[in-house]
Amino acid sequence: MTRKISFSKAINEALHQEMERDEKVFIIGEDVAKMGGDFGITAGIWSKWPKRAFDTALSESAIIGLSCGAALCGLRPVAELMFADFIAVCYDQIVNNAAKLSYMYEGKASAQIVVRAVTGGGIRCAYHHSQCIEPWLMNIPGLVVLAPSTPYEAKGLLISAIRNNNPVIFLEHKGLYNKKGEVPEDLYELPLYKANIVREGSDITIVAAMSMVDFAQKAAEELSGQGIQCEIINPLTLFPLDKETIINSVAKTGRLVIIQEGPKFMGYAAEIGSMVYEEIFEYLKAPMKRITSLDTPVPFAPVMEDYVMPQYEDVLKACNQLMSF
Amino acid sequence: MALSKDHMLNIYRDMVLIRRFEEIIEKYSKNGTIPGFIHLSIGQEAAQAGVIDVLRETDYKFPDHRGHGAIVLASRPEDRKLIMAEIFGKKTGINGGRGGSMHINDLKVRNMGFNGIQGSTVVTSLGTAFASVYNQTDDVTVVFMGDGTLGEGTCHESMNMAATWKLPLIYVLINNQYAISTPYTESHPQKQLSDWGKGYNVPSMTVDGNDIEAVIEVTQSAVDRAKRGEGPTLIELMTYRWQGHFSGDPAAYRPEGELEKWKEKCPIKLAKEKLLNHFGVHESEITEIHNWVEKEINSYLEFSLASPNPSPQDSIKYVYTDVEVEGRS
Repeated sequence: MTRKISFSKAINEALHQEMERDEKVFIIGEDVAKMGGDFGITAGIWSKWPKRAFDTALSESAIIGLSCGAALCGLRPVAELMFADFIAVCYDQIVNNAAKLSYMYEGKASAQIVVRAVTGGGIRCAYHHSQCIEPWLMNIPGLVVLAPSTPYEAKGLLISAIRNNNPVIFLEHKGLYNKKGEVPEDLYELPLYKANIVREGSDITIVAAMSMVDFAQKAAEELSGQGIQCEIINPLTLFPLDKETIINSVAKTGRLVIIQEGPKFMGYAAEIGSMVYEEIFEYLKAPMKRITSLDTPVPFAPVMEDYVMPQYEDVLKACNQLMSF
Repeated sequence: MALSKDHMLNIYRDMVLIRRFEEIIEKYSKNGTIPGFIHLSIGQEAAQAGVIDVLRETDYKFPDHRGHGAIVLASRPEDRKLIMAEIFGKKTGINGGRGGSMHINDLKVRNMGFNGIQGSTVVTSLGTAFASVYNQTDDVTVVFMGDGTLGEGTCHESMNMAATWKLPLIYVLINNQYAISTPYTESHPQKQLSDWGKGYNVPSMTVDGNDIEAVIEVTQSAVDRAKRGEGPTLIELMTYRWQGHFSGDPAAYRPEGELEKWKEKCPIKLAKEKLLNHFGVHESEITEIHNWVEKEINSYLEFSLASPNPSPQDSIKYVYTDVEVEGRS
C-alpha cells in the first residue's frame, strides 16, 4: 500500500524498517539518538533500540572511523553528518579509509557503511551549511554517491544502500525534506548505479539531480507548451555514474543540458558533458549547456544566495538556444 | 613480569626472526629489488614482539607503518613468506602485491593492516573495539602508533570516545624518539607522551620498550583491564629506531653517539644476556635459534625472489564489491 509522505519521513521509515529487519544495523552521529537528529530524520529510533543508537561527541573523524572498523566486523553502521559540509573534517576517513578498504582487503571485507549527509543550499545558512559537495566525492574510486530527488527514491535507495557492501554517501538535499510523494509502506529496494528517466522527450536531454529535478520538470512543462519536448534523466547514483542511460538519451535527442547546483568549474556537469563529447560527438546537434551555481561560496542574504544559485530562466534560455543552433 | 625460560627462549627467537626479516628487507630495498618506501623497525623488536605475544589470534591488531615485525609475528608461520612476498610486490604476496610494505593485512589473524595516513587507524580501531562490545565478545583491539602519530587530531577524537564509552582498546605508542627528523620533545609539550592520556582519564604508563618482560607485563595488564570492561589504556614504549625514517635515509639529524648509546640497549642483546646469565641457557642453544631463523628467513627470501609479478589487469579488481571498473581495452 502506498500513501503520501514527506522525503524526511521516507528516510525515517527506511531506517526504522532496516533496524527492525537486521540487528547489525545501528545509527551513530551527533544528536541522532535521544534528540532524533538535528533535522528529525532519526526520530523514534533510540526509544525503540536504545542500544543501537549512539550520540557522539563532535568528532566526525571518529564517527566515520568507528563506522569503518565496525563494518569490518560485519556490522552495518548508518552514520549521519548533520551537514555535508562537515565531510571536510572527516574527509580522510572517507577518502583514504572507507573508499580503500575493499581494495585493500581484496574484497574479503569492505566499509559497508552509509554516511547520510545533508547537502545543498536554499535555507539561508551561508557558506558552511549550504554547499553541494558531490564533486569532492566523485573523483574517489571506491565510493558510491547517491542523490535521491523524491520520497520514493529516498526510501528505496536508502534501503539498498544499507544492504550494499560499499561505502555509500547518501545525500539528502535539505530543500527536499518537506517534499511529499507516494511511498509504499513495505520495504523495497531501488537499484544502485541506475539512472531514472523522469520524463521522456525527443528534443533535449536534461540531466538533473536532487532539487534540480523539480527545476527541470517545471522547465520541461513550460517548454512543452512551445513544442519543445525534453527528456529528463536523474542519475540517482551520481558515482559510479550510469553512463549508458545518459548516452542513449543524448544519442536520441542530440542535445544536452545539465542543471547542477554547486560551482561550475569541475562540477559533475563537466564530466557528463565530456563523456558525451567523447562517446557520441557525431550525434550532437548543438553544443551542451551547463546551468550551475556561480563559482563562489554560498552567501547568506536571501537575495545574494538566490543570485548565485542556478537560475530557472537560464534553463529556458539554454534550451531555446540549443533548439535554434 | 618474570617469564619462564621457555617463554623467554620463544620470544627471543621471535625477536631474532623479525630483526633478520628487516635486515633482508633493507638489503633488497637498498639494491632496488623492493620498490617504494620501506620503514624499518630494527631496534624496536621488543615493543612489537612483546605486545603481539600477549594477544590472541582473534584480537584485532592495527599495526603502524613501521610494523613489519608485529605483522610477521601476528601471522601464522606458514604465511610469513607471503608477507615478505607482499613487500617485494609479488603476485604471491599476502595481499596479491596491491598493498606493499605499508598496507599488509591478514584478516584471518585479525591483522587489520595499516592505513598510510598517520592517525587514521587510531579512529578505525574504535570500530573493532565497538563491535566487540556490540557483539558481546571479549576480543580486544590494539592500535600501534608512533610518537609522531600523536600530533594528529584523530588521536584526540579517538581517545575521548574510547574513554567515554569504555571501549576495549589499547593504544600502543612506540616512542622511537623521532617523527622523521623531528624529536618528539620539539613537537609536544609533555615530558613523556603517556602524560597525554591523563586528560582523558585513561590509565597511561611509560615503560622501557626494549625490555621484553616489561612490555609483556604492561600489555597484559592493559588487556586484562579492557576485558574487564574498564576501557582503554595508553602504553608508551620507549625505544629507538636504528635506521633512518625510511630505508636509505642517512638520519643526519641525529646527534653523534646517540645511536651507539641505544645499541647498547638492544632488546635482543638484553634478552640474550638474560637467557645466558639468569636462565643458564647454553650458548649453543642460542646458536641453534639463530640457525633456525636463518633457514626460515632464507626460505621466505627464496620464495619472494622466485615469485611472479602480479597481473597488471588485477589492478581493477575489488574497487567495488559489486561492480567492475573499466580496464584498458
